[in-house]
Amino acid sequence: MAEYDIRTDSKFAVKPDEAVNALKGALLKDIRRSAYVYRVDCGGCNGCEIEIFAAITPIFDAERFGIKVVSSPRHADILVYTGAMTRAMRVPALRAYHAAPDPKICVAYGACGCSGGIFHDLYGVWGGADKILPIDLYIPGCPPTPPATVHGFAVALGLLQQKMKAVHHVQGETERSQLISPQVPLSLRIMIERAARRMAGYWHGKRIADDFLSMVDGGNLSALSESLHAYLQKRDDPRLAEIMTLLKEEYATHLEGG
Amino acid sequence: MMLRPEEKTQRGQRYVQALRQQFGTIIQEETWQAPEQVTLTVDLNSLPAVVDAAYHQHGGWLSVVAGNDERPLNGHFALYYVLSVEGDETHNGSEPESCYLIVRALVPPNKPEFPAVTPRVPAAVWYEREVRDMFGLQPVGLPDERRLVLPDDWPADLHPLRKDAMDYRYRPAPETEDETYEFFDVQGEGVLQIPLGPLHITSDEPGHFRLFVDGEHIIDADYRLFYVHRGMEKLAETRMTYDQVTFLADRICGICGYAHNVAYSNSIERALGISIPERAHYIRTILLEVERLHSHLLNLGLACHFVGFDTGFMQFFRVREKSMKMAELLTGTRKTYGMNLIGGVRRDILKEQRLQTLQWCKELRQEVSDLVGMLLETPNIVQRTQNVGRLEPQVAREYSPVGPTLRGSGFPRDIRVIHPYSAYDRVPWKLTYKDGCDVLARTLIRAEEFFESLSMVERCLDTMPDGPILTEGFNYTPHRYALGYVEAPRGEDIHWSMLGDNQKLYRWRCRASSYNNWPSLRYMLQNNTISDAPLIVASIDPCYSCTERVTVVDVRKKDVKIVPYKELERYCRERKDSPLKA
Repeated sequence: MAEYDIRTDSKFAVKPDEAVNALKGALLKDIRRSAYVYRVDCGGCNGCEIEIFAAITPIFDAERFGIKVVSSPRHADILVYTGAMTRAMRVPALRAYHAAPDPKICVAYGACGCSGGIFHDLYGVWGGADKILPIDLYIPGCPPTPPATVHGFAVALGLLQQKMKAVHHVQGETERSQLISPQVPLSLRIMIERAARRMAGYWHGKRIADDFLSMVDGGNLSALSESLHAYLQKRDDPRLAEIMTLLKEEYATHLEGG
Repeated sequence: MMLRPEEKTQRGQRYVQALRQQFGTIIQEETWQAPEQVTLTVDLNSLPAVVDAAYHQHGGWLSVVAGNDERPLNGHFALYYVLSVEGDETHNGSEPESCYLIVRALVPPNKPEFPAVTPRVPAAVWYEREVRDMFGLQPVGLPDERRLVLPDDWPADLHPLRKDAMDYRYRPAPETEDETYEFFDVQGEGVLQIPLGPLHITSDEPGHFRLFVDGEHIIDADYRLFYVHRGMEKLAETRMTYDQVTFLADRICGICGYAHNVAYSNSIERALGISIPERAHYIRTILLEVERLHSHLLNLGLACHFVGFDTGFMQFFRVREKSMKMAELLTGTRKTYGMNLIGGVRRDILKEQRLQTLQWCKELRQEVSDLVGMLLETPNIVQRTQNVGRLEPQVAREYSPVGPTLRGSGFPRDIRVIHPYSAYDRVPWKLTYKDGCDVLARTLIRAEEFFESLSMVERCLDTMPDGPILTEGFNYTPHRYALGYVEAPRGEDIHWSMLGDNQKLYRWRCRASSYNNWPSLRYMLQNNTISDAPLIVASIDPCYSCTERVTVVDVRKKDVKIVPYKELERYCRERKDSPLKA
């Protein structure tokens, strides 16, 4: 038996239609800033749904661009598909698609909607929404933040394209990328960054390592102690003091060892 | 975690003794996974009796049932009925003591069936339907023959969690494109079926409801969920290694993912006997409470929305952004925090973040207390929610719901008190419960818990000890298993994990809080008007995504059976002598 093709072998399959595609081109001009959005959750974890909620409530307020969430696909210009396309939701998702009047814009929202995300190859899902539907726009993220959501819709509505300017950088003959701090040996930098990140986490660790390395003065331990003391007094954070002390010990061992 | 020095002694010995006395040689084996976790292997035919005794005689609540294909290990399928045994108040008048008692029974592969526990303990109904779907073990005596988890288009004899059944990527062609799920068919004069879903207006997520109404009154309800079943448990056992699953656990639920993350990490840390640093306990507690802040504000907002107070909805969402910013500040992301590693956390909280969080806590307390005051002064809200969607204590006792749904019906049950984890036994806090049994009670509990969470965040930030945030250098020991549990915003999340021998999990059973809350929803819907249905559904703060798994079983006194349709028909017509009264 031939392999089952989920996109075409269904009685609900979406068939390409030239006339609709032509209408689609005119859609944006017709709806302008009055876009009705219907959300279809096809197996999302709720993270995407709640961030869409956040995007339409007062702080981010997508309605100022005319983007309104409606409660029936019959009213929709834009369909937003969230979540990995599960087996059980495939037919309801297609029925929602057919229920919306042509022409319409389909958006795949979130990592799972775009590609299936972490669930991409599981038995219970078909992958992203584009496995069964024609998708016009992808809004990635796990989940996309409300600003990313508003940005995505603005792109969908053609509000943004004209404002984007691409810059192409061509590397010059003698141009070389710079080390972040050339005065510190790379091996020392890596060691300190690793230690700091292990103790304080990736994000804090980088900043702590940068601060520490800016105080390292070529192997003069007592000078380092002095500037560390002043630094810590200003910060007044016992946990930071603990981390810095441990970094100093590592640094001292490093000096002795090599 | 978390072998704390003070708790080397095994809790729950008394229940084991009592069960041994009652059942004698039926109990074949006793193993302890942690000081508060004991597994008793029992004779398969006596499984319902033992679970029943633990549930009804020793104050047990059914937490989760895990099926497991142990044929490669010992030649059998295994069933694990996990009960949180908390003792009866009248129990010999001694100090209350609680433990997780796990009743295990082996099912021979040549006769894949087991006696159903549901007729004695209705709370087991979904679990047993799920075990049938996923392992092909037939619960004998379970009246509901319908699928629970697997979609309609899935082949009949393929059980995804059997080890030899299929590759995790196997996608059989759909068997059908029509909905074959059989809903109740309640008929009678003047009874109307209202289908709602799977895509519907009351909530974002897919779920299919059938309400049976006479005029405006809901006579009965049936519903079907699990539209978003993806196969996460299989994924954890195949593609991912055990230490990557923390990040998958975050994606069980977009709202309370961190609770799952902690529950999963705890289960592995217990199984491997890893003790995690104090500071990591505090950071986990802070983040769990930050997650509760945004989740409860979300639900309070929705409660406003469903009674038609949309201004309130928008206002709650406005202030909710502050809790989202708090999460972003502490974890780097608004949702799916990804903060846990096995052995601790990935990111420290330094002074700058601490001060900012404390400042936001102060502002949030003011803003939310203004809003809650406004909400309660709106006459509409009390009228719409008082005595609506009642969950009677007897029904609650039989179905083991969790979280605010249970605490709204007068049970002071909170995992943070009964089985303390992380730093909940180190900082003082107050448990909230109410005996209104209605939507109002559940809403008020969430409001009060919100303020308690704020205080807890502040206390933890103030008293957080210094020191490392991660334990490293432990060993992976094959085939150990243990439970992890967390009181998520919606109630107890529980994870049962068993390690394999290849740096992966052998079996992972994660159960989200809503899974236990759904089955009792039917009783909340009955005898209300149709206009209150969305409000009632929202009052359990359901989370379809993490539940992803209702039924025709009914409590009548202590024995359980299908209420005959004729009986319902009669009830529809006469509207008296309800067959559903407990």
